Amino acid sequence: MLDRRLVLIACLAALAPSAVLGHHGWGSYDAAKTVTVEGPIEVSQFENPHALIKVTAQGKTWSIVLAPTSRMIARGAPAAFIAVGKTVTAVGYASTAAPGEMRAERITVEGKTVEMR
Amino acid sequence: MVEGAPQVLIALEQGLGAVVRQSVWAYPTANIAHVVGLAVLAGAVAVMDARLLGLGGATPWPSVVRPTQRVAAVALAVMLATGFALFAAEASHLAQNPVFLVKMGLLAAALANAGVAAWLLRGLAPDAAVPPALRASAGLSLALWLAIAAAGRTIAYV
Repeated sequence: MLDRRLVLIACLAALAPSAVLGHHGWGSYDAAKTVTVEGPIEVSQFENPHALIKVTAQGKTWSIVLAPTSRMIARGAPAAFIAVGKTVTAVGYASTAAPGEMRAERITVEGKTVEMR
Repeated sequence: MVEGAPQVLIALEQGLGAVVRQSVWAYPTANIAHVVGLAVLAGAVAVMDARLLGLGGATPWPSVVRPTQRVAAVALAVMLATGFALFAAEASHLAQNPVFLVKMGLLAAALANAGVAAWLLRGLAPDAAVPPALRASAGLSLALWLAIAAAGRTIAYV
């Protein structure tokens, strides 16, 4: 009886999610198709949980989700790196949930490429 | 910012929320403390509920329940404070997130259930057997807190 209770409690505990940081699921992005967006940065939000820029390319405005700010800074991409007006090339995956949103794998600004993952 | 969101949520998102988002360390610190708080809270709750469900019946229940109640209360305070900061950062969005709303409903139920359990414990002698109502409350508590934990993590995926 006691053992069965222990097993039950262990099973319930295993259902608890593992403690992971990170915000969005990988599943809601179409990882099978790489999207490349190039253009001037129109909006730049250097914020947590993820930095975000908006870029219009071929008549379509993309909200491009970048990395948490601490990672951006650690990889040499502080707020000034994605300042409004700079030309950016973002390579990533389009969201399957939010139209016009993409998650960048990497961005290139002024010849410097920074990985977001 | 969600267009047409209630004014109070917009004010929260533009006030405290902006501070949390724009700081390099505030959001990750709150996030980490929220998860660590969950580990402590769930651990304390599991020990408390296991005793009320009959595990370790040789030990008088107050010896197990009283200390774990205090640990759980401190962890809950940490979770509420850090949870509020995380909510503020994206208030208008989270208020429309169905899993967040489910989580808040489950939280209200868990807190009400904890209140009922505390009330039932008041009249219970230290060496008394745990009555069925209290056992049911303990089982419900375990299920609710684990569901809250699962819902919390699921918010980011819907």
